[in-house]
Amino acid sequence: MNHAYNEVNLYNLAVIKESKRWSSQGLIEEVQLKNIEQEYPCSFYHPNIIIRILLFIATLFALSGVTGLLALLFGKLGEGIVATGCLMYGTFSFVILDRVLVNQYRHYKSGVTEALLYHACGFAIVGLSWMADFNTYFVLITCLLVFSYAAVRFLDLLTTVAAIGSLAGLLFYACYEAGGIFQQVIPFVFILCFGSVYVITRKLKKHNHLKFWLLNMMIVEVISLLLVYAAGNYLVVRELSINLMNLELVGGQDIPFAFLFYALTIIVPFALLYTGIKHKDVLALRVSLIAIAFTVFTFKYYYGFGHPEITLTVAGALLFGIGMLLFNYLKKMRGGFTRENHLAEKWANLNLQAFVISQTLGGNQSGVGSQIETGGGGKFGGGGSTDSF
Amino acid sequence: MERSCQKTENFSLDSTSMTKNTPRELFEKGLIREDQFNKIDVINSGKVVSVFYELQTLLYLGVLLFTSGVGILIYMNIGSLGHLISIFALILLSIGCFYYAFKKGVAYSNDSVKPVTPYFDYVVLLGALVFVSVAGYLQFQFGILNENLELVTLITSVFFFYIAYRFDHLGVLSLAITALASFWSVSISPQKWYSGTFFETANLHVVAIIFGVSVAAIALVLEMKRIKIHFTFTYLNFCSLLFFAGAITGLFIGEWWFAYLLLIYGGCLFAYVMAMKRKSFLFLLYAFICAYIGTTYLLEKTILRDAIEIWFLYSIFSCGGFIYFIIKYKNYFKQK
Repeated sequence: MNHAYNEVNLYNLAVIKESKRWSSQGLIEEVQLKNIEQEYPCSFYHPNIIIRILLFIATLFALSGVTGLLALLFGKLGEGIVATGCLMYGTFSFVILDRVLVNQYRHYKSGVTEALLYHACGFAIVGLSWMADFNTYFVLITCLLVFSYAAVRFLDLLTTVAAIGSLAGLLFYACYEAGGIFQQVIPFVFILCFGSVYVITRKLKKHNHLKFWLLNMMIVEVISLLLVYAAGNYLVVRELSINLMNLELVGGQDIPFAFLFYALTIIVPFALLYTGIKHKDVLALRVSLIAIAFTVFTFKYYYGFGHPEITLTVAGALLFGIGMLLFNYLKKMRGGFTRENHLAEKWANLNLQAFVISQTLGGNQSGVGSQIETGGGGKFGGGGSTDSF
Repeated sequence: MERSCQKTENFSLDSTSMTKNTPRELFEKGLIREDQFNKIDVINSGKVVSVFYELQTLLYLGVLLFTSGVGILIYMNIGSLGHLISIFALILLSIGCFYYAFKKGVAYSNDSVKPVTPYFDYVVLLGALVFVSVAGYLQFQFGILNENLELVTLITSVFFFYIAYRFDHLGVLSLAITALASFWSVSISPQKWYSGTFFETANLHVVAIIFGVSVAAIALVLEMKRIKIHFTFTYLNFCSLLFFAGAITGLFIGEWWFAYLLLIYGGCLFAYVMAMKRKSFLFLLYAFICAYIGTTYLLEKTILRDAIEIWFLYSIFSCGGFIYFIIKYKNYFKQK
């Protein structure tokens, strides 16, 4: 299956976007950017992020109006017909999106397309599942297929996440239903499966003709890594075993293979960190940092949350110290790593950073303020910090 | 695009981006110069990897966790020797941060200042937050301002404003603005609105509106005097959030709704002008959403009542029309 877009336009858009980043970093000049934009024309309608959000919200409102009217008209016709209706409506939305918006009006991730796409996915899935009386297997498989279609055809990232999620859900449900020994080996099944997904995706990434799906593949990669880690994490395995499989632990008992899971909890993040550094793989590096944080949390969870304030202080001091050390260490380029900011990340807007700082760091300035102020005491709520750890 | 695959292969495993060979292509077409190509290609091919954002995130998390921990720790075991030592250590830490900042930092300037080191901003942030924590604690312990405790917030805010302007720090500036707002008992925090605890006290929305308008006015005056022009966005962002939240609350409270509606329209007009002038689409987002909420409320109060079908049609035609408008005039809504 191919994607729905014009490849020349896709490539030209990517070139323009990259060039803009180079230009904002002063690597090329304004005039050159203008020339590149002329040399690589792109006829997509692809507005900036704010307009996209606006269009997305507006489209959702408009679609909810359409859905509401249809529901009023056909809602009382009986289950079978409504289910078929949902499916038809979903399919129709896919067709409109594909033929009219993308093909004719050249929308590319314009906000309107995303809204219509998720809307279409929702109705297609509900319609199909309804016909099968919401049988869990059927629902999960439908989700997997519909989301994969949406992800592949429209290069959409959110549905990529949803597709992987459905795959994980399906796998889990299948093992869970099979019972007995299958329930016990769920972690290993997950590690094997998503390990392979990771390896295969990395191989696929090297194929030039799949380059348009590169972002999707990166998402798949990151989520598979996270799933592999989660499946081996002691905390996840233990809590899921107790909550879902009615495992009863009395006294000094521990989950089966506890030692193995402890080992995995520690080894996986550091293995990732090593790969990330060795192969200069930023994705693995970022995932490993998240995993390390969660590993620390896992051990703290079972071995004492006694003094959260001390933990917070020490952890904060450590992170700050490590950050400073690395910044100093990478003053010169070492092993291809540098501390210099070469290209601005899309999300790393200074105003956004300031906003995040004001929303997260405001809580601890003056404990006094929060004790005294009454009513809409607002910002100085204190606390708030513990849950972010 | 296929030809130079082997070229980068041995250097990096993950550089299969769509624009992997673009720099070479641009160079061969004469769109960029050789020195530029050399610079861009090492970055683009992944031979050089920047960990700037990763390290900044580490520092940010460090500051977040450390100051949260200290904020709790400081009020525990009050009076013991270890406690006194740690307070002293925190004071030293704060002094250390500011010593570094004053020594290394550039002199004050009305323009934006590039930080001297990639971690400069975080050292300043840490110093400011620790200082405020300790000062708040000392006030709590020795009660210098026992009569007017809200003054603590005001002083905190003034201190943050000073740091923000002195070291050109947007993060501390937004802390200063939220502290100032909280002196007037208004909160600038989306989480609070979400949980519905925004504006608990009566007439707080009026305070929010007045605060929003006056601070925005001050910000615009500062901009006209060309003092830290790049700060204006942060001011205006917080002000519009407060203003619109206040006005919409007023709208829903009842009685004076028509006056608040006019206020909302005025605010939207202002936000629209700002958006167009600055090419900043965030204000456009505020303007459109608030105008839509206001208009919908007006219609609900006057002509559209009860019948649900009409509301469905309304949402179809209003939003459909809006989408049509945005796409029709797409060139008008383009950046630069």
